[in-house]
Amino acid sequence: MKLDFSPKDELFRQEIASWLASNLCGEFDVIRGRGGPGDQHMFIDERKAWEQKLYQGGWTCIGWPPEYGGRDASIEEQVIFNEEYARAQGPGRAGHIGETLVGPTLIAFGNQDQKDRYLPEILRGEAFWCQGYSEPGAGSDLANVKTGAQFDDATQQWFISGQKVWTSLARESDYCFVIARTDAKSVGHHGLGFFLVPIDQTGVTIRPIEQLTGTSEFNEVFFDDAQCSVEDIVGEPGDGWKVAMGLLGFERGISTLGQQMLFQNELDEIITLAKTNGSAKNPQIRQRIAEAHIGLRIMRFNSMRVLSSEGADGSLQKESMIYKLYWSSWHRNLGKLAMDVMGAESEVLKGGPYQLNRLQSMYLFSRADTIYGGTNQIQRNLIAERALGMPREPRG
Amino acid sequence: MNFTYSEDQLTYRDTVAALLSCEVTADSIRARWTSAQGIDANLTQQLADMGLNALLVPESCGGLGLSELDFILLAQECGRVALPEPLVENAMAATAMLSEVASSDLAAANQCQDTLKQIATGNASVACGHWINPYVNMADTSHWLLLPHGDEVHLVSTQTVDLIAQRSSDPSRRISKVNWQPSRGTKIAGGQQGAELWRSALNRGALGVAAQLIGLAESILRRAVVFTTDREQFGRPVGANQAVKHLLADCAVSLEFAKPVIARAAYAVANSPTRADWAVSHAKVAASYAALLTVRHGMQVHGAMGYTWECDLQIWMKRCWAIDKTWGDVGFHKNRIHEWLLNPNALMGAEHTFDKSGSPSDESNSQQGAG
Ligand SMILES: Cc1cc2nc3c(=O)[nH]c(=O)nc-3n(C[C@H](O)[C@H](O)[C@H](O)COP(=O)(O)OP(=O)(O)OC[C@H]3O[C@@H](n4cnc5c(N)ncnc54)[C@H](O)[C@@H]3O)c2cc1C
Repeated sequence: MKLDFSPKDELFRQEIASWLASNLCGEFDVIRGRGGPGDQHMFIDERKAWEQKLYQGGWTCIGWPPEYGGRDASIEEQVIFNEEYARAQGPGRAGHIGETLVGPTLIAFGNQDQKDRYLPEILRGEAFWCQGYSEPGAGSDLANVKTGAQFDDATQQWFISGQKVWTSLARESDYCFVIARTDAKSVGHHGLGFFLVPIDQTGVTIRPIEQLTGTSEFNEVFFDDAQCSVEDIVGEPGDGWKVAMGLLGFERGISTLGQQMLFQNELDEIITLAKTNGSAKNPQIRQRIAEAHIGLRIMRFNSMRVLSSEGADGSLQKESMIYKLYWSSWHRNLGKLAMDVMGAESEVLKGGPYQLNRLQSMYLFSRADTIYGGTNQIQRNLIAERALGMPREPRG
Repeated sequence: MNFTYSEDQLTYRDTVAALLSCEVTADSIRARWTSAQGIDANLTQQLADMGLNALLVPESCGGLGLSELDFILLAQECGRVALPEPLVENAMAATAMLSEVASSDLAAANQCQDTLKQIATGNASVACGHWINPYVNMADTSHWLLLPHGDEVHLVSTQTVDLIAQRSSDPSRRISKVNWQPSRGTKIAGGQQGAELWRSALNRGALGVAAQLIGLAESILRRAVVFTTDREQFGRPVGANQAVKHLLADCAVSLEFAKPVIARAAYAVANSPTRADWAVSHAKVAASYAALLTVRHGMQVHGAMGYTWECDLQIWMKRCWAIDKTWGDVGFHKNRIHEWLLNPNALMGAEHTFDKSGSPSDESNSQQGAG
């Protein structure tokens, strides 16, 4: 065990900190601290341009292997990068899904041609992705997807038809990764394929869904004979479930560190507010602030423990299963703390028609944290059944 | 001892509930969100015709002369339909405050009696800008405002004040800050009497919120039960899973346990108002806990659907979130409770659990502004 940063790490810290100081300014001033949870659809053009700026500085995809343009950054370096990024109020990463989910998935499961075509665009901050998993009938029961993919020999194309729902940032994306049934007669997690589908085509229609925040980050996405080239299925027809689950594993990996830094910023904002509006005098609020701090430290130590024991192939240990449940519950409580610290002011919007301030928007968004990416109930089932090996519940 | 409601009380509640469930629907509430004033004038008149505005007003002033114990049942029904009209807060806090002045020896008694008669017929309305709340809901649709200046109580015509409108996270609420100048002509009470009036208004206001929260939460719970029965995943209703059922069972338990606390508080407010602080604070804390738990779990079991603007659940959830912080938040009310518990003269021990007055002998512990 070694819990300190080395002198080399500290040099790395100086490097990123000074790069951010001299680049996250000027035209990028407007996006400082923007684009986080609940605000992900805002300043999208500026944030995409920022991704390209990051790339020019060599700061996208730093954890990727050098052969794909990454720096093969160590865990320590990635921790430092995320810390400094958050400290500098770096905007929510528009390239997040590409860098942390699609990239690692293609590196693990994609063929050379797919890596050659997609990884450079992600690296350069030029292509943005969204996740087409959920459907009206397939939420927690993801394996119940009905969207179908049919292969047409004549054109050597897959034709995809069906409906996805709750697709975050679909309108801001260039591609959607879609799980669809390649074998129309199959059920459950058999007979699925994992497709890389360009969004800008006549077969794809996107309809925004308004959230209770008054904004719409997520969408319904309709596929009506949407085309996907034969080269754009990851793995074989029938491998879709394996690839889809592999991708979810990456969701619990290194990307958790950046998230914790956002959480730290939120907690700091709450503490500052509590000190200024006097609620910090209330012993109940003081205790909850201390608890929030403790929970955040626990998450950080756990992430670092999990990441440093990561399997050589990038697969995660069982410990990673506990993470989603912990952070989502923690964050939901943080949202409540923010409202309680704001007191009677928590109801007052910034403006019309439904303009939330940062903490209000965080509060509402954190209500969804315990739902997307596997609900708390499903997480508990996974922990009990997969990690503890308890008897499985009947699944219909 | 009898913790049940009378036949009359229940019948009256059912009549009101029947009217509300016809007139106040999710669609009609959404229509109010985009209307200029945010209230339905017809419904307001209908409620006045049923005597609801003046339920707590003495019969001599044209009211029904009923008590808080009668009113909480109705407040619960108003919550159940998420009534946007400020009936509960106006009747429980403002109108009742006028009634107190009307039946006192204060010089303003006559003036208040006249105003009450107009309120009873639906020709006037009064809202309360209590010092505990930074904003007044629907001040612009009230004719009169009761406003604090130190301990003084002023009855002010809405036309003479500046209302700074704010947007509420609950689109059903139309809140504003009130800028105004006190004058001799507007003062209706002051000194110790004024302080007592504010204090009992706070208790009635908080009690009204507690009762509404229960009704709001019961609606959310009912919606959650229906949703999880209809929604299928893994080939069966999601509500068939214990993980879902138990969440909702916990809500039911906490809601049921909050109800007698509210009844007890209403009883204290009606029968020994100067000693009701702790009981009201307990009611507000219990209702708040139960309601926010139900909001949390009710939303959780809806999955992503509960996060949409389209899903009517938000109407109830946002009301709970907003009013939870009015008339004293949980921190304020917990402070009032522990102040008397930790008071050196507190009457502790089993023999005081059901003590008749139900509150500690020392009344100095319930001042304004604790917390
Ligand atoms: C803000 C947000 C963004 C999202 N973004 C995306 C996205 O980009 N791409 C995408 O594909 N999806 C996205 N989703 C969808 C998300 O993954 C689903 O909402 C989630 O999987 C739950 O599915 P559901 O909403 O259909 O709820 P349901 O599965 O219908 O669940 C309803 C309730 O039943 C419970 N439940 C269901 N089955 C069981 C069981 N077996 N045992 C115990 N309890 C059970 C659930 O826990 C939940 O409380 C997003 C959702 C949200 C809220």
